[in-house]
Amino acid sequence: MEEVGMESAEKIILRWDSTASEEARDRMIFEGDRSEVDLYLRAVDQIQHATIDSSSCAGDKVNAAIQIAMARLEDEFRNILITHSSPLETESLLELTTLSTDNSAEFEECSVEADEEEPDRVLELPEGESSRRARSSVSYKTTKSIREVDLIPAEAIDDLRSIAERMIAADYLRECVQVYGSVRKSAVDASFWNLGIEKLSIGDIQRLDWDSVEVKIRRWIRAARVCIRVLFASEKKLCEQIFYGLGTAIDDTCFMETVKGPAIQLFNFAEAISISKREPEKLFKILDLHDALLDLLPDIDVVFVCKSAESIRVQAAEILSRLAEAARGILSEFENKVLREPSRGTVPGGTIHPLTRYVMNYISLISDYKQTLNELIVSKPSTGSRYSGDPTTPDMDFAELEEKSPLALHLIWTIVILLFNLDIKSKNYVDGSIVHIFMMNNIYYVVQKVKGSPELHEMIGDDYLRKLSGKVRQEAITYQRATWVRVLYCLRDEGLHVSGSFSSGVSKSALRERFKTFNAMFEDVHKTQATWLIPDIQLREELRISISEKLLPAYRSFLGRYRNHIESGRHPENYIKYLADDLENAVLDFFEGHPVSQTSRRR
Amino acid sequence: MPATEYQGSFLGRISIRRNQVSSLENNQEQELEDLELFQRHISDRFADLIVPAPDDPPASPHHHHHQPNPDNVLSISWLRKLLDAFLCCEAEFKAVLIMGRDPAHVAKPPLDRLIPELMDRVVRALDLCNAITHGVDSVMQCQRLAEIAASALERRPFGEGQVKRAKRALTTLLSLMDDKENTNSSFKAAERNWSFGRRGSGAAGANKDPHMANFRCLTMSVSKNWSASKQIQAMMGNLAAPRGNEASGLAVPVYIMSSVIVFAMWALVAAIPCHERSGLSTHFPVPRQLSWAQSMIGLQERIAEDWKKKEKKGSAGLMEEMQKMEKLGTALVDFADGFQFPAEAEKEEVAAGQVCELVEVCRRLDEGLLPLQQQIREVFHRMVRSRTEILELLDQASKAAANPVA
Repeated sequence: MEEVGMESAEKIILRWDSTASEEARDRMIFEGDRSEVDLYLRAVDQIQHATIDSSSCAGDKVNAAIQIAMARLEDEFRNILITHSSPLETESLLELTTLSTDNSAEFEECSVEADEEEPDRVLELPEGESSRRARSSVSYKTTKSIREVDLIPAEAIDDLRSIAERMIAADYLRECVQVYGSVRKSAVDASFWNLGIEKLSIGDIQRLDWDSVEVKIRRWIRAARVCIRVLFASEKKLCEQIFYGLGTAIDDTCFMETVKGPAIQLFNFAEAISISKREPEKLFKILDLHDALLDLLPDIDVVFVCKSAESIRVQAAEILSRLAEAARGILSEFENKVLREPSRGTVPGGTIHPLTRYVMNYISLISDYKQTLNELIVSKPSTGSRYSGDPTTPDMDFAELEEKSPLALHLIWTIVILLFNLDIKSKNYVDGSIVHIFMMNNIYYVVQKVKGSPELHEMIGDDYLRKLSGKVRQEAITYQRATWVRVLYCLRDEGLHVSGSFSSGVSKSALRERFKTFNAMFEDVHKTQATWLIPDIQLREELRISISEKLLPAYRSFLGRYRNHIESGRHPENYIKYLADDLENAVLDFFEGHPVSQTSRRR
Repeated sequence: MPATEYQGSFLGRISIRRNQVSSLENNQEQELEDLELFQRHISDRFADLIVPAPDDPPASPHHHHHQPNPDNVLSISWLRKLLDAFLCCEAEFKAVLIMGRDPAHVAKPPLDRLIPELMDRVVRALDLCNAITHGVDSVMQCQRLAEIAASALERRPFGEGQVKRAKRALTTLLSLMDDKENTNSSFKAAERNWSFGRRGSGAAGANKDPHMANFRCLTMSVSKNWSASKQIQAMMGNLAAPRGNEASGLAVPVYIMSSVIVFAMWALVAAIPCHERSGLSTHFPVPRQLSWAQSMIGLQERIAEDWKKKEKKGSAGLMEEMQKMEKLGTALVDFADGFQFPAEAEKEEVAAGQVCELVEVCRRLDEGLLPLQQQIREVFHRMVRSRTEILELLDQASKAAANPVA
């Protein structure tokens, strides 16, 4: 290459002074002939390396030429950048992310195993697109780990670098950083747009209904993965490609210039979610968000490793801990709601209370998230003290449950306070017996639900389950006592025998009373308790059998012993209405949940 | 700092006293005392923020007109002091409202209305913090452009190259400042400074435009509908001084804190360019008669004056350093326009002096902007924390009310 003399160098520079001529404005050097480019760059080098006396007229002209050259190079730099700056092809990336593992259940079927050896697929952009579009080579595993993409073709990078070198050597670093940042910032913003990252304010998010927010969280998680692992990582790589070795940490400066704003904007959404009002329904999506951010944190630390990016790393960590706090707060709020749920309406038929269903569904879901929650929940539930005498809170001794994780303790505690609350609600029933059917039903429901979920079962543990099953039995026994003692009382021997001096026998009037009372009581109980419901078939039958076991033998023996006395009197049919078989059939009506027809079985 | 001293003893006194078993009468008396103290502290803190205006007559004949007081109202260091004062007020307010508080108190009228309103203001303030932080970023950008110009004009005598370089940077700077509606459209502004016309010569020109059109509207950090001035206006709505028998209860500190939040945010929005500040209300709904509000209202009036005078559409914000930067930038661009090597000695002298001032402005920005951002973040954190605690208190209150002991 020929050396360019000073005079010709100046001429070349001046020829391309865009403030001076229309012609200079019309074309871009770097879009034209390579030989022009080389010539220009050599000219720049020439005048830069000349030693000049700035106070002389000639010296001033050289300085002026340097400025003109730098201004020109700045514009060329900008132009090259813009020409090759198109937003990242994010649609394809976003689509692929739905195939990657996602906590939410709906994607479970489509999850790709992390260890699966799948060959990288190259995604070709449709032909016919402007050649300025960056060809991105992308694999299905893209958003599980950092995957940089070449944002700008290699030849352009060479040009950019050769310009940057000269600008920096001429002490025009600031201008270079400035122009780089402004163009790339716009490109990143455009990519954000394509990723569907919305610019919602905290106020906006507080006002949205939670269902909409859930959708946005899901979207954000997908977008954030692409943002951090592909978009920001690629920007960082681009800075390195252009500026590496040209000075102290210039690539870091340019990188931060480009992504600082967008990064903060990205995190603002997660932050807004973390400070929204704490309501139980929000727990699981917030855990999803927490887990997604936790998963991204190592990559955030890698991409934002430079010192000037510390505030971003700090902010990400802050948001993560806020999300954790929010989760803890929501769990607390949930337990509070279970304890204080104030509805007084009784469930007709003594069946399962909606609160029971809600709570059991909720803690089943919690057990699904136990991996995360075990990390987050570190303190035991604050229970009432055994000695507090506070009637509004149950107490619980966790001594026996020493080996259980705090999360498991919380779940057990939740069941305790559920039952406590149900117990209070049961007092609203007028009938004393249905109280126990109600409690029996609900506790049994809890037991079944726990048994039905392996994670839940493992956390709650067999000991406590046994305790609950014991309660079920207890309620059944108490029910029987409440209903049947007085009925069976009618069938006792005492009080029927009259011992007098002349006749020792059975008092017929008393006997008749007994039969009448028994019949009335039984009919009443039968009519009422047929409308009660024990949803679990097995439980229902067991209780009926238990009733029959006590009722039938007692009635049979009573009938056997005393029917003669009635049948020997007038209108026996008014007193002996039922055979044992009739009673047996009638018991089958119990707890079916609907009234018996008026034509009851009679003899 | 005097404020923290107050804070320490104040909080100490409250916590000791609250824990003492005392009669109901004593409690009420003591609470009134606490409220008194709270008001006095607020008043003191804002009095501290009052700085004699630069155009006030000098206190002494030796007063140096050219030595700008770095703590002038709406300078960076003043803004930082404002935020410090805010944090102190906030801490005291929390102590007054939450510590040892029976939740039932906050569920009673008028607090059952006033506190949720306060919470609403806090949420808006959080969004404003984010917008203002972003605004500080654009101030940083201006600072960098100014630094280019300042360092270009370091060496004397000024040469043509230097001056053109400075002018290029300053022109970009001024157009950035001029167009603060699009806070981050640095792209758009830079575009103006290009030596190239948009006459789309050839294929190259035509194809460039659609890209830029796309880029232009996307560089904002908030949605187009969000507006700082609208947020401030909403915060001011419902801000009514408690009257009658409400004027002695907890409604007072709630009102005071609300006013402080509104004032702080309002001042920051006036000072720092953030999205959509046009139409910023200059009327402050706090009545003059309130003793604790005197200083605050005084400051507010001064800033409002400034706003009306200097704020053309889309200006660079009232931050003193930015105002100076604009003035100096304009003057230096004028100088550059009329420059020919070698420059007239007098003109060059004046310009050199302006460059010196510009260097000083940049230095102050360099020192103060990052800490300012950190402080805003701290304010953000504190408000989030307080809001969480107050919401919890409200929750406890509503549960206690809805669920008397079974």
